[in-house]
Amino acid sequence: MGVLRRVRNLWRRDRLDAEIEEELRSHVEMAVEDAVRAGTPPQEARRSARLRFGDPLATRERTVEADAVTALGSLARDLRDALRRLRRSPGFTTTAVITLALGIGATTAIFTLVQQVMLRSLPVAQPEQLWRIGRDVSCCYSTRYNQDDWNLFSWEAYRYFRAGTPGFENLAAFQIGVGNAELAVRRAGSPAPAQTGIGEYVSGNFFDTLGISAWRGRLFTDADDQDGAPPAAVMSFHTWQQQYGSDPSVIGATYQFNGHAFTIVGITPPGFFGAKVAASDMPDFWMPLTTEPLIAGGTSRLRNPRLAWLNLIGRIRSGTNPKTLEAQLQVELHQWLGSHVGDMTPHERALWQTQSLHLTPGGAGVSLMREEYEKDLWLLLLAALCVLLVACANIANLLLARGMKDRPQTALLAALGASRARLVLKALVESLTLAVFGAVAGIAVAYAGARLILHLAIIGPEWIPVDAHPSIPVLLFALGLSLLTGVAFGIAPAWMTARADPIEALHGASRSTGGNRYWAPKMLVIVQAAVSVVLLSAAAMLGQSLSNLKHQNFGFDSSGRYLVSIDTKTSNYRQDQLVPLYQEIEERLRSFPDVHSVGSVLEAPMAGWVWPHDIRIEGKPEPGLKEDDSSGWTRVTPGFFETLGDQIVMGRPIAEEDNATTRPVAVINEAFAKKFFGKENPIGQHFGPTPRKNAGMYEIVGVARDVVFAGNAEPMYFLPEAQRTEFDEPESEEREVWSHYLYNTVIWAPGNPPGLEARVRKALADIDPHLLVSGVRPYSEVIDAVFAQQDMMASLMWLFGALGLVLAAVGLYGVTAYGVEQRTSEIGVRMALGADRGSVVAMVLRGAFWQVGIGLALGIPAAIGAGYLIANRLFGVTPWDPLMLLGSTVLLGLAALIAAFIPARRAASADPVRALRSE
Amino acid sequence: MARNDLQGSLDLLVLKTLSQRGKLHGYGIAVHIQQASSALLNVEEGSLYPALHRMEQSGWVASEWALTETGRRAKYYRLTGAGRRRLEVALGEFEELVKGVRAVLRYA
Repeated sequence: MGVLRRVRNLWRRDRLDAEIEEELRSHVEMAVEDAVRAGTPPQEARRSARLRFGDPLATRERTVEADAVTALGSLARDLRDALRRLRRSPGFTTTAVITLALGIGATTAIFTLVQQVMLRSLPVAQPEQLWRIGRDVSCCYSTRYNQDDWNLFSWEAYRYFRAGTPGFENLAAFQIGVGNAELAVRRAGSPAPAQTGIGEYVSGNFFDTLGISAWRGRLFTDADDQDGAPPAAVMSFHTWQQQYGSDPSVIGATYQFNGHAFTIVGITPPGFFGAKVAASDMPDFWMPLTTEPLIAGGTSRLRNPRLAWLNLIGRIRSGTNPKTLEAQLQVELHQWLGSHVGDMTPHERALWQTQSLHLTPGGAGVSLMREEYEKDLWLLLLAALCVLLVACANIANLLLARGMKDRPQTALLAALGASRARLVLKALVESLTLAVFGAVAGIAVAYAGARLILHLAIIGPEWIPVDAHPSIPVLLFALGLSLLTGVAFGIAPAWMTARADPIEALHGASRSTGGNRYWAPKMLVIVQAAVSVVLLSAAAMLGQSLSNLKHQNFGFDSSGRYLVSIDTKTSNYRQDQLVPLYQEIEERLRSFPDVHSVGSVLEAPMAGWVWPHDIRIEGKPEPGLKEDDSSGWTRVTPGFFETLGDQIVMGRPIAEEDNATTRPVAVINEAFAKKFFGKENPIGQHFGPTPRKNAGMYEIVGVARDVVFAGNAEPMYFLPEAQRTEFDEPESEEREVWSHYLYNTVIWAPGNPPGLEARVRKALADIDPHLLVSGVRPYSEVIDAVFAQQDMMASLMWLFGALGLVLAAVGLYGVTAYGVEQRTSEIGVRMALGADRGSVVAMVLRGAFWQVGIGLALGIPAAIGAGYLIANRLFGVTPWDPLMLLGSTVLLGLAALIAAFIPARRAASADPVRALRSE
Repeated sequence: MARNDLQGSLDLLVLKTLSQRGKLHGYGIAVHIQQASSALLNVEEGSLYPALHRMEQSGWVASEWALTETGRRAKYYRLTGAGRRRLEVALGEFEELVKGVRAVLRYA
């Protein structure tokens, strides 16, 4: 038989079935009526009618067969039945599907991100064979011989491991940060301005180890990763497509990377993004490790054994036990460290033998993104599940109410001999059908939602290796979720309807409303209220925390200030060109009539990173091993303090006279003064970075008020751009060189000057068209961007909280309205006996608020618990903040009032006479 | 002869009932047969409905939903032209059957 015919019969049979059922029922009822009319007691009449009828199901089946329609499985029939019932009540179905779509959609959206960020393997060959060294993920480099859990390695250490570990079929190294790899890329001979790009230095066997092959051209090998080899680079497919228009002439062409010629030898396959997973700075280009000195020049890390900046990932040889391999690597680490005892600090010498490493599965790559978002995503998933729970409760309530209405019908089915299991199954099939519809709609919601979260909240416009498209695991998750929810919200109503009493049905009564029969809907409302309070208070706490973060005292006022980001290092300026360049830039900007002042800084407060140094004060004793002797530091031009509004409380700021011809000076902040000098006057004192011999390096000429650079007002010192000192320690020397490439210029131009950003860009382009300007932004925007993740958390929590609240209110409304409807006659009696409208409203509201009250009693402790769960994400908010709890309670109370007042008023406006007549 | 079984008899009773009473629902048919036979014949519902539906499939009866005097929805059956012709044939067949049975009983 053709499929089409089968399907048609399915429909046909469904219709016939219902008809036959009705026909048979009307038969029984007519028989009962006649018997009663003839004087038989109704009870007896019914019993004998049923007895006479024999086995009703068998009759029905035989009747159906007589209709010569193909029999199909009863499950399929239940499904048709369910679809018909759902189609028959479009209001109910629409409400339920939308509710479910929101619940399942929210949960699936978050799960999409959870899956992408936490559960996904790299798109490479046999990722399960990949192992990485290191348990934690840290960025971006270390300058110490002690890391506890070693995950960053120098080039020398990498080569040592690679040569001595046969347990790895291949061991590759790649850069986890972007230092020395921020590129200005220009096609050789092209007049077009350079484009910025992110590079990543990798070992020659990197692609081999991951087991990928070129999409176009070739990927480089160890032969390219050698001194003297012509510089080669590989471009990512994404970059090739998005920025180079999939131009085939890119392959084999020469490009200038920060002024150095590289040949693009090939393109990686689509979807491949390397072994690093991060929310920013994903590589556009891969370059061999040995090209690093070419680009980095004086700040090169390659040959410094102390500078650990590479992550190691290897393909394990089949048959090798990872435990054994780990033990061997451990031995190798100690052997390698042992060869460097000579250049360790005393502190490191005391600790190097306790160093250890861990071999961990590397199939998912090394994920900075995971480190950053894992906890937040789990939290969001939890919140989304709470919303889903509230949604399920609503649908359960709808189904319950409908089940009550359909009781007579269900009871009749029971009277006709349908088993309870059969009835439960029938009801479950319906709720599961509903859930699957919800899931389908939910997947659409999830796709849009995940994209929205990615687009708006997590990251900026940059490309990141996260795909919001629903993948197979996501689809399976949504399906599983829908089945789970279908059972969750379907089981109680199914069970309750299955308990339908046949006798009651034949009484034809739907009014018998024993008070405690409706405990289930009330319970559900209580749960909804409790969950909503938890969501709302979590949202309130995160929102307040975000606001505290944004409005904390940073020590400066961002209003009227603008931040220009200029990448002079990537633009390939020489050290000796920098001072005149910044002077020219600042003079040019200062000449704008609406600009008050201009100053430059290595990385501006709240806009970047602070380098720490361990400090030695001249004339003070060497600090103990455990003592914290570090301070942050940065480099500025003379206008910096005035432009930022950072007040000098003692001495003087950095000035024009602090240049190459005068003695090296520093301005410190109050925290520095307090930490190292206590109540002493710091002016005129000398200090320097470790070791002791540098202690006389800088003379303190001023003290500035504390400004928050990165999270806290920590000790800081400020050095003049125009001064340069020499270090014997390579990493201090590297930073010294690096620190002269000031990345930020701050402009103070109050009063919203029109078109300032465009004018600034033009001025900079006039100075040097090849200067890479990565942004001109209002300072407040920069600060907001710092808290983007907290912003996302707070916004999504609010969204979930609002969703939960609305659903809970709808649930309360439904239950109250249903209760009022059931009690119409009771209310009629009360009013007939003299109760006024006010007291009826009060009575209904009292009932509703009892439920909300119990919900609050459960929800508030749970909210406090949730507060402790998110305590480490809160800034200036305690987990049991009474104001937040009160706020959420009031919000819920208001919503409940509205939800309960509408049915209450309807109850009060009931006509007592009519209500009584229906009795 | 195959038609002259008990099922054939039930068909005949139903067709005859409908030809006498015009439109009737299943319950009415059962009641009529019972009353007309002075309660000698008791139609089992378990056989009646399959028979009705089979006859409908064969085109002997047609059905429609209508309200009873007491306002209840019920499925009413009526004879079609084909049903009338079938009744003639069935009556003839029944007479044949009765004759045959009598003859056997007489000479047995």
